[in-house]
Amino acid sequence: MTTITESFTASNIKKKNIFTQFIDFLGSDNLSLLIALILLILLITVVSGWIGLEGGSKFFTWQNLLNSLAQAVVIVGLLAMGETIVALAGVMDISIGSIASCGSVVAASTLVGTGAVGSLSIFPQNNIFWAIVAGILAGMIGGLINGLIITKLHVNATVATLGTMAAFAGTAFLLAPNGKPIGVVTQPNFTWLAQGRLWKDAAVHTLNGSKWTGVPVLTVILLVVVIVMHILMRYTSFGRAVYAIGGNATAARLAGINVTTMKIRMFMISGGIAGLAGVLLASRTTSGNPINGQGLEMQAITAVYLGGTSTSGGKGTVFGTFLAVIIVGVLNNGMNLLGFNTFVQKVALGMLLVVAVAISQYRQLQSEKSHKRMEK
Amino acid sequence: MEKAFFEKNKNEDSQENPPGTLEIRHICKAFPNVQALNDVSLDIRPGEVLAFVGENGAGKSTLLKIINGDYQPDSGTMQIDRETLSFPNPLVAHKAGIRVIYQEPEIIPGVNVAENIWVGELPKTNGFIDRQNLNRTVTESLAEYGFDSVLPTHLMGDQLSAAQRQIVEIMRALKSGVRVLALDEPTSSLSDDEVDRLFTLVRKLRDGGMAIIYVSHRIAEILQLCDRVAVLRDGELIAIRPAKELTDHEIVHLMVGRELTEIYQRNPAGTNKEVLRIEHLNSKWHKDINFHINAGEVVGFAGLVGAGRSELAKVIFGDKRIDSGKIILEGKEISTTTPSKAIAQGIGFATEDRKREGLILIRSVLENASLVIVNQLTKLGFVNRTKEKEIASSFVRKLNVRTPSLEQEIGKLSGGNQQKVVLARWLAAKPKILILDEPTRGIDVGAKAEIYKLIDQLANEGLAIMFISSELPEIIGLSDRVYVMQNGHITGEIPGSELTEESILELAMADDLQGENESPNKTKMEEFSL
Repeated sequence: MTTITESFTASNIKKKNIFTQFIDFLGSDNLSLLIALILLILLITVVSGWIGLEGGSKFFTWQNLLNSLAQAVVIVGLLAMGETIVALAGVMDISIGSIASCGSVVAASTLVGTGAVGSLSIFPQNNIFWAIVAGILAGMIGGLINGLIITKLHVNATVATLGTMAAFAGTAFLLAPNGKPIGVVTQPNFTWLAQGRLWKDAAVHTLNGSKWTGVPVLTVILLVVVIVMHILMRYTSFGRAVYAIGGNATAARLAGINVTTMKIRMFMISGGIAGLAGVLLASRTTSGNPINGQGLEMQAITAVYLGGTSTSGGKGTVFGTFLAVIIVGVLNNGMNLLGFNTFVQKVALGMLLVVAVAISQYRQLQSEKSHKRMEK
Repeated sequence: MEKAFFEKNKNEDSQENPPGTLEIRHICKAFPNVQALNDVSLDIRPGEVLAFVGENGAGKSTLLKIINGDYQPDSGTMQIDRETLSFPNPLVAHKAGIRVIYQEPEIIPGVNVAENIWVGELPKTNGFIDRQNLNRTVTESLAEYGFDSVLPTHLMGDQLSAAQRQIVEIMRALKSGVRVLALDEPTSSLSDDEVDRLFTLVRKLRDGGMAIIYVSHRIAEILQLCDRVAVLRDGELIAIRPAKELTDHEIVHLMVGRELTEIYQRNPAGTNKEVLRIEHLNSKWHKDINFHINAGEVVGFAGLVGAGRSELAKVIFGDKRIDSGKIILEGKEISTTTPSKAIAQGIGFATEDRKREGLILIRSVLENASLVIVNQLTKLGFVNRTKEKEIASSFVRKLNVRTPSLEQEIGKLSGGNQQKVVLARWLAAKPKILILDEPTRGIDVGAKAEIYKLIDQLANEGLAIMFISSELPEIIGLSDRVYVMQNGHITGEIPGSELTEESILELAMADDLQGENESPNKTKMEEFSL
C-alpha cells in the first residue's frame, strides 16, 4: 500500500528528459506509427533500388516530396481530421466524400455565379474569400443534417451517413448547372489555393539534384487545420467531452454532458472541414465538379483507424491520424513510383483499412482483458 | 508468531485425501507488476464445499482461472489421483471434469433454455436438431435436480433472470459429467429465495460426491454453506480451516490481516436545515413519493431489488422523466430535466453501475475525476489544466486513491479505487446533495471501510447524502434515518434509533402480496421472483 502511494508522489517529481518529453508530446501509440512510416520509406527506397527503378532515387527529391506527397495527402488529410473527431466519439461519418463534392460545387458556383447556389447571389461573385465561406457553410449544413438525423431520429450514425452519402452525392449534381462541372480556370486567385507555393525563395539545399520550389499553399492549410484540431481536442472542454462520449456515452450524459448537442456539433465540424476540402478540390481540379469528392471517405477513414483511433471511440489522437495520413500518402506514392497500377493500389488500401481496424480491435481486447484482471 | 499459527493450520489440513481429490501444489502466477499467486497449495476434495475468500486482488479469480484453463500457472502442478493435469484452455479442463461457473454466464439471447444448455452438442437426426429428444432430456435432468418448476425449457435466453442464467450454466456443466465445480460469486445478483434454491442444489451435488469450490464475498453465506474455508491474501494462502471453527469476525480478520473494529462509524450531526424536499413525485416507476433530506444527514433508502430506488435517483437527477411533483432544493422549487441542469443546481449522483454508467474506463484517472468540473475550469473554451490537476490530485490524496499517477487508465485500477475516483468527481463539483447508489458494490472490505468513513466525514461537513443500498448492515450502520421503498412507493420512514434488519424488511415486503396487482413495477418484480 505504502509503496504505491509513494510511487504516486515519486512520479510527480520525477524529472523528464527530452526523449520522454518527446514521447509524451507524440503519445506512445503514435511512436509506433512514426516507426512504421520510417520503415515504409526505407522499404520503398530499398526495394526500388533493388529492382533498379529510377523511382528509388526519385523518392527523395524535393519535387516528389512536395508535389506528390505534401500535396496529394492534403485533401484526404483534411477529411481525416474531421472524421477523427467523429470517430473519437465512437461513430462514423461516411458522407464526407459526398459533402466535399457539394462543397466543391457550391464554392465554384458562388465564385462564378452560376448554378443553383450561384444564381441566388448570397455572396459576392469573384471573391475567393466568400467562395471558401460558401463551401464550408455547405459542408456544415450537410453535417447539421447528419447530426439531426442521428440524434433526433435515433438512426445509427453509419447507416444515417450511408444514406446521406448517396443523397449528398446526388445533391452535388443537382447544385451544378445541368449536373455539369463548373470551370474556374479563369480565376487565378482561386486556383492559387491548390497550386500556389509559399516561401519559394527560401535558401534550401537541393535534394537528390532537385531544387526547392517552395511549400504548397495546400500543405500550409492542412498543417493549420491539424494544429487547430490538435488544440481543440487536447486543450478544450469540447475535446474532453468528445473523448468522454466515445469512452462511455452514458457516463458522459450522467456527468452533465449534453450528448445530443455535442454530436450535432461534431458532425457540423466534420462536414465543415469536408466542405473546405471540397473548395480545395475545386481549386486543384480547376472545376467545381460533382464527382470531386467521390470515394475519398475511404482513404480518410483508413487513416483515422490506422492512426490509432479506437473503433468504439474514446481513444486516439489528431497527431496519430496525421501520421497515418502521411503513411497512406507514402504508400500510394511509393506504389506509383514502383509502377503498381491503381487497381493494385485500391486492393492495398482496402486491406490496409482492415489491418488497421484489426490492430485497433486487438488493442481494445488487450485493454479490456487488463480491466477484467483488475476486477478481482 | 502469526506465521507459525498459519503454518500450523496448513499442516493440519494435509491429511490423507480421498480418491478424486484435486491436489493443487505450489502454484505461482505473476502478471506485470503483480504476483497474483505465490506458492498456493490446497486440496479440493470430493463431497466437500470449499470456500475461497479474500479481498479483491487476493488471487481468488486467478486461481479459478488456472483451474479452468484460462490462465497457465508459471509453476506448480495440479493432480487428480496421481495424474498430473495441465489445461492449455478451458475446453481441456471441461473434458477433465472441471468446470468454473463465472458470475455472468454466457447465455445466447435468442435461443431457448434447452438449446442453451446443450449448445455445441445438440442431438441431431439427419443433420436436423432433434427437438423432441432435446426437450425430453432437458426436462428430465431439470426435474432430477429440482429445477423443473423454476426454469421452463421454452424460455428464451434473454428472458432469463440472473438466477436462471446461473442454473443454465450449472446444467451445462452437469450434463457433461463434472468432478470439480467452481462457483464464482454466484449469489451476487440473486434474491434470498433464489439463494436458498442454489444452496439446496449445491448441497445435493456435494452429497453426490462432487468437489465444489465456492467463491464469495458474503461471509454469512460461506459459514452457512461451506465445509472448509481457504483464505487468500495478496496471492498467498493465509489459512485453510474447517468452517465450523471459524466466525465471521475471524474470516474478515484473516482476509484483511487487520482488525476491522467499528467498520461503521457514524456520528450523526444532522441539522434542521433542509436541503432536498420531494413532494408528490410521480413517474413511470413511482407513485406519490414524499421525503426530505437535511444538511449533514445520511438518509438511507432501503428496499428490494426493483423497488424503484435507483430510478428515483435518476428521476431527481433528470435522467428519467418526472410526470408530476415538486423537487425543492434549499426551499426553492427546481426543474431538473437533464443531468446537466441537476448538476448546475447542486445535485451529485454516483451511479450504481460504476462501469456502465459512471466511469470512462479507457480514459485517465484525471479525466474521470474532473469530468463534472471541467466546464467550470474552462475559459474561452480552454481547460485550465494546472488547476484541474491541482484539484484532482488533492481529491486523489484526500480519498486515498491508490494509483501510480493521474494519467493512469482508470480501468486498470481496482474496483475500490475506481469507486473513490467516482466520489472524487462528485466531491470536486461541491454538490449540496450527493446521491450515492450502491457505493460499495463489488469492492473489497478495506475499501468499503474507507468509503464508510468518508460518507460519515462528508455528512459531518454539512453535505446532505441520499444513500441507496441493498446491504442492510451498511444501511443500518450508516444512516441517520431510513426510507423504505417497495414497488415504487415509500412504505415507511424509520428513525435511526429504531433501525433493525427486521424493521426494514417488514416495510420492504409489507404489501408484497396485496399490492402487487396494481403496482407499476409488476413485470419487473416478476422477473426477479424466479
